[in-house]
Amino acid sequence: MIIRTELEPSRRIVHLVGRFDAHEAKAFRGVVHPLVTAEANVLHVDLAQVAFVDSTALSELVRLQKAARAVDGEVVLVDLSDPVRVILEITELAPLFTIEHTSTEAL
Amino acid sequence: MTEVLSPYRAYRAWVTEPLPCPPVVSVVIPAYNEEWRILPTIGAIATHMSTRGQPWELIIADDGSTDSTISLVRDLRFANLRLLVAERNRGKGSAVRRGVLAARGELVLFADADQSTPIEQFDRLAALVGEGFDIVAGSRGADGAAVSGKSLTRRVLSRGLRAVVSRGFGITVSDTQCGFKLFTQDAARALFSTQLVDGFSFDLEVLYLAHHLGYRVAEVPVEWIDAPGSTVDAAKVSAQFLRDLLVIRLNDIRGRYPHTRPAEGRDA
Repeated sequence: MIIRTELEPSRRIVHLVGRFDAHEAKAFRGVVHPLVTAEANVLHVDLAQVAFVDSTALSELVRLQKAARAVDGEVVLVDLSDPVRVILEITELAPLFTIEHTSTEAL
Repeated sequence: MTEVLSPYRAYRAWVTEPLPCPPVVSVVIPAYNEEWRILPTIGAIATHMSTRGQPWELIIADDGSTDSTISLVRDLRFANLRLLVAERNRGKGSAVRRGVLAARGELVLFADADQSTPIEQFDRLAALVGEGFDIVAGSRGADGAAVSGKSLTRRVLSRGLRAVVSRGFGITVSDTQCGFKLFTQDAARALFSTQLVDGFSFDLEVLYLAHHLGYRVAEVPVEWIDAPGSTVDAAKVSAQFLRDLLVIRLNDIRGRYPHTRPAEGRDA
């Protein structure tokens, strides 16, 4: 999985590309978790190009959300790919996140 | 004409509306204590297969799970998902057999519950059935396969077992054990109604029978990603595999396998 970060003064975005599974959890935690701080407590995670998330990946996203909430922030999931949207729904994890769509294609 | 739906809307329709006709494709997933992995796998498969636009059904063939696999799947209440519950654990071969024999599709795919072969690979296998093959086996051993995360131990054992299978059984498929195989309905019914192995080596037995009954078998290189947390003990499984090779050979010698194909086609 490719992890690309876009750090602007007003907005922090992480773009993920590929398959987000247990093999990628360590890298995700190392690169993405430090981006949530008391000063920058809102993190956008772009999942438009993620084809699959397994349970370990889901737990990483939940862990990230808990860290953000601990500093009064949040994780915003952006442009979910269809499989990721469905997986978040059937695992009943979607309500834990704010989900933003920048395109109307999937609606 | 079929309305072209967005992938998500196609998925929602599949979830809520029972098929008005027999499925073209049945996907069978054997599941034993898969509470950690089954829902993401169902989500990925349901999204992709619904997007293809053909009527399809999903069959989860439980193998006596003692965790929450059964309740997780049952609670989904998807219109076109069937859950086959087993009273006790008998082995992957037993679960796949029950799933395949319950399948109604013209094509029957069995896929492992860990999504180690991404479902997007299905389309390449289906294309070969269209060219006249009865069975298309996903392969980690064929040229062009992309395998990642497989341990050195598993690679060495796999290579050794492949050599045994090739020389001892005359099976040309280089990877008999990849959990991603597609069958025509006739081939699936003929093979799974006669195969006997309940455990991990049922794939080998099925391919052995296919070879002897003259089915056309193709092998397609697939992308395969090892699923961490697999409960498969490679050394133990390999030892069992070798024992099953002997069992299959003995079954054949004792005349427990048919030597001719059943008449093809079913009563409509």
